[in-house]
Amino acid sequence: MNTKDLLIRFLLGGAAVMLSYLVTVISPWKILAGIFAAFPAVMITAVLMMGIVSGSKNAAKVANGSVYGMIGGVVCVATVWVTLTISNNWLFSIFLGLVLWLVSSIAVSIARERMKNIHLKYVKNIVGQMREVQIRHNK
Amino acid sequence: MAGLSISALLIRFTLGGLAVVISTLVARKLGEKAGGIFAAFPAVYLAALLTASLDFGGAELVNYSILLSKGAMVGMTINIVIAIIAGYLLPRKGWKKGLAQAVGCWFIISMAVVVLISY
Repeated sequence: MNTKDLLIRFLLGGAAVMLSYLVTVISPWKILAGIFAAFPAVMITAVLMMGIVSGSKNAAKVANGSVYGMIGGVVCVATVWVTLTISNNWLFSIFLGLVLWLVSSIAVSIARERMKNIHLKYVKNIVGQMREVQIRHNK
Repeated sequence: MAGLSISALLIRFTLGGLAVVISTLVARKLGEKAGGIFAAFPAVYLAALLTASLDFGGAELVNYSILLSKGAMVGMTINIVIAIIAGYLLPRKGWKKGLAQAVGCWFIISMAVVVLISY
């Protein structure tokens, strides 16, 4: 991946977030401004770029991965909110929110993978037992 | 209508651009799912907080940030739903159609939630 490619991604990502802000400021309809204040511009751009370069399958993987990041986003906002209420320390609240965003996103992602593996093992065990019963029955 | 601020625009541009670049680099190194986590970097929320620090200070800044966080909780929750919808639609409909439909869903859900909260 060369610098030019990364620069295009930087410009696109920046432009998407900037545009969603412009809509919130320029829009004469308050409702539209409120909606665009939470537009997932970064995710849309990242999925779009992955779709163009690597196709739908990998773009879907980015979207699935972003579910964990979005859950982390809720944790981040809740952390900033609670820490601000308790400590009144603005900078520390944002720092803690960002740290917990990353930690909780990774934790949820690992937990989901483990749950998937446990489920797979369970299904494999059941299929194995059913086969054994079938073999015994055939004998 | 709130005033347009150049510094607010620049903060959003930088954070948004960096998040997409980091997401791409992480996806290359650790796989698309890990890259997806960074694709959900709360750039818009962080930019809103940083911009607020240019306009407010002290207790006013803390109160405004708390207010901002209350609104962001709703937006973030909607975005979780949209990411799930996008992950479902993309492999089935293709990335162009799937992404367009996911954005459409985001707009409809956001509109419904805003109307419900407002009235």
